[in-house]
Amino acid sequence: MHIIVFGLNHNTAPIEIRERLFCSENDLPDLLKKLKDSGLNESVVVSTCNRTEIYFCSENPEECLSRIEPLLTEHFCVKDEWLKNYTYRFVDKDAYRHLFLVASGLDSMVIGEPQILGQVKDAYRIATFHNTTGFFLNKLFHKTFNVAKKIRTETRIGYNPLSISSMAIELSKKIFIELKQKKILVIGAGEMCEIALKNFKKEGLSDILITNRTLQNAKKLAEDITGIPYPFDNIPELLTKVDMVLSSTGSEKPIIDKELVISVMKKRRNRPLFFIDIAMPRDIDPEVNRIENVYLYDIDDLKELSVKHLSDRIKESEKAHAIVEEEVMNFSNWLKQLDKNPLITHIIESIEEIRLKELNKMLNKMKYSDEETQNNMDLLTKNIVNKIIYRHVSLIRQNGSPSTLDVMKQLFRFEEDNEKDMEGWDKGE
Amino acid sequence: MNVVLFNLSLLLYLLSTASYMFFLVLKKGLFGKVGYYLILSGCCIHLISTLARYFHAGYTPITNTYESLSFLSLCIAVFFLYLKRIYKIEILGCIISPVIFLMLLWASSFPSDIRPLPPVLDSFWLPIHTVFSFSGNAIFFTSFFISLIYLFVERGIKKKRFPSISARLPSLETLDLINYRCMSYGFPFLTVGIITGSIWANTAWGSYWSWDPKETWSFITWITYAILIHNRLAIGWRGRKTAYMMIIGFLFILITFLGVNFFAGGLHSYL
Repeated sequence: MHIIVFGLNHNTAPIEIRERLFCSENDLPDLLKKLKDSGLNESVVVSTCNRTEIYFCSENPEECLSRIEPLLTEHFCVKDEWLKNYTYRFVDKDAYRHLFLVASGLDSMVIGEPQILGQVKDAYRIATFHNTTGFFLNKLFHKTFNVAKKIRTETRIGYNPLSISSMAIELSKKIFIELKQKKILVIGAGEMCEIALKNFKKEGLSDILITNRTLQNAKKLAEDITGIPYPFDNIPELLTKVDMVLSSTGSEKPIIDKELVISVMKKRRNRPLFFIDIAMPRDIDPEVNRIENVYLYDIDDLKELSVKHLSDRIKESEKAHAIVEEEVMNFSNWLKQLDKNPLITHIIESIEEIRLKELNKMLNKMKYSDEETQNNMDLLTKNIVNKIIYRHVSLIRQNGSPSTLDVMKQLFRFEEDNEKDMEGWDKGE
Repeated sequence: MNVVLFNLSLLLYLLSTASYMFFLVLKKGLFGKVGYYLILSGCCIHLISTLARYFHAGYTPITNTYESLSFLSLCIAVFFLYLKRIYKIEILGCIISPVIFLMLLWASSFPSDIRPLPPVLDSFWLPIHTVFSFSGNAIFFTSFFISLIYLFVERGIKKKRFPSISARLPSLETLDLINYRCMSYGFPFLTVGIITGSIWANTAWGSYWSWDPKETWSFITWITYAILIHNRLAIGWRGRKTAYMMIIGFLFILITFLGVNFFAGGLHSYL
């Protein structure tokens, strides 16, 4: 049995192609069904804005691919050459490696980003729900989630934030105990402010004061994110109340200068004040950073930090790649062993036979049940059987002593003609 | 008995130091936890060892250099455990565990045998005066390290440089708050220690205050912390200034605690 991935990503295809081949969550069941009908026993489709990939199992990859390609061109209404020019295909080890890399964010445009793992999990969930996964892909995807988790915990790949707003949050956490009880003043009502504010709100910050030269815009933003608008002239007074200031105006000259902040700090009795100046040209005099208990980060500082964090991530990705290689070897050894051992194949096949027989009996009895119940029953029996098979398989592998094997052979009526294949395996192990 | 337990706690503190060093280098949270539990168990055994010595000797075992170093490190360990519980600052353990270990190691280089109590120390005030003074000292010892961490983090944020370790460091506000707590716990202890000391001095030496080196330096220390507290409450001194002042105060404590014993002599010289 081979596991194959066929697809495209941001490295191989430009956005115009990727968006044509994007498959939304609503569209996925249809595509999965078409794939199943074309003869694929097991398939999972992962589709995000940066990639569309089909994972499937087959004894004969080339033949399968030649069937899938026309199906895809038809499904997405795209040209034949596109699939030839912009896609990649990996088989076995390369396929496991690819999936491990994708799920742990190593294949992403922003290296180490965490969303992709959730997207892969969703894709797998949808596939299991529509019954298009089986023994091999179940095993592969569960392994993948383990690998991704291992990489998250053992390397610092996703440790340091890269975006301006998440860095601002990270910095404010280094200054303040808890953001929940803090107040933030926003000067300017642009888009940058809005994105950053939304992220701050996620951290539990709820006291948001907004000011802008045109009060109207401040009011509008305040309504959007439940803040309180204030007139622009109130800034000196507002500065005594808040803990953080986020500034992003189009002003040519600094709005806040050193003298103002010095006088404010006296009134604040030196409670720390954190300025985040993401405006260009800058809104806050850089000299402000020299005042005690005042911290100022401007857009250049944040960008510099981002570059540093990115290089940290790249350094960490080496460790992650090593983990992936190790796990690829583990998985491929596991699969090879499974292939080599006719007894295991026999067990899987005979139990599957029993399962299908019994399932069909029951489904015949329950003729009037709806499709969902039937699917659920199929899923349930599959899960039970897989768990039982797994125990047998691991027992055979861990303790391949002749007596254990004999018991197994008797249990599953392993025939004489199979014995011969078995002999070689026994000795080989 | 007490010496065996003492050595056992010394070993636990050593293991805890090692675990915290692994935590620092490998950045694995597990080592931090192990280090914490090792200090916790070390501290318990240390406490039992001190109690055992108390019952064996029949007097509060804070009468010579061995005993006082041991008791001081016990106080530091207890205060650290308290801070760790409330503020969850892992990194403090990396500094406190080697400090406690080295202090105990140093203590073990002094004679540990139990000798009869000098008559001048045989007083109702011995436990009260020493426990209060030592608790105050231990709290200010800890705040010295808190202040060092504060200055390190503050510098990183101001200069916009982030050593990778700083992600594990507590926030500036937390550190400043701990410093404030140290002030408000440590100062009363120190004050009571000095007052009970002077009452005792009156009964033992016939004078409340005789300006011997220990008394003089503890007075200077007390004034330093008094100024610090005044400035914090009256003019809102925070952050860096407080941290610097804490460090100066700590230097005075060192002079009071050790310098005077080893170099100056005077009335307190049996310590």
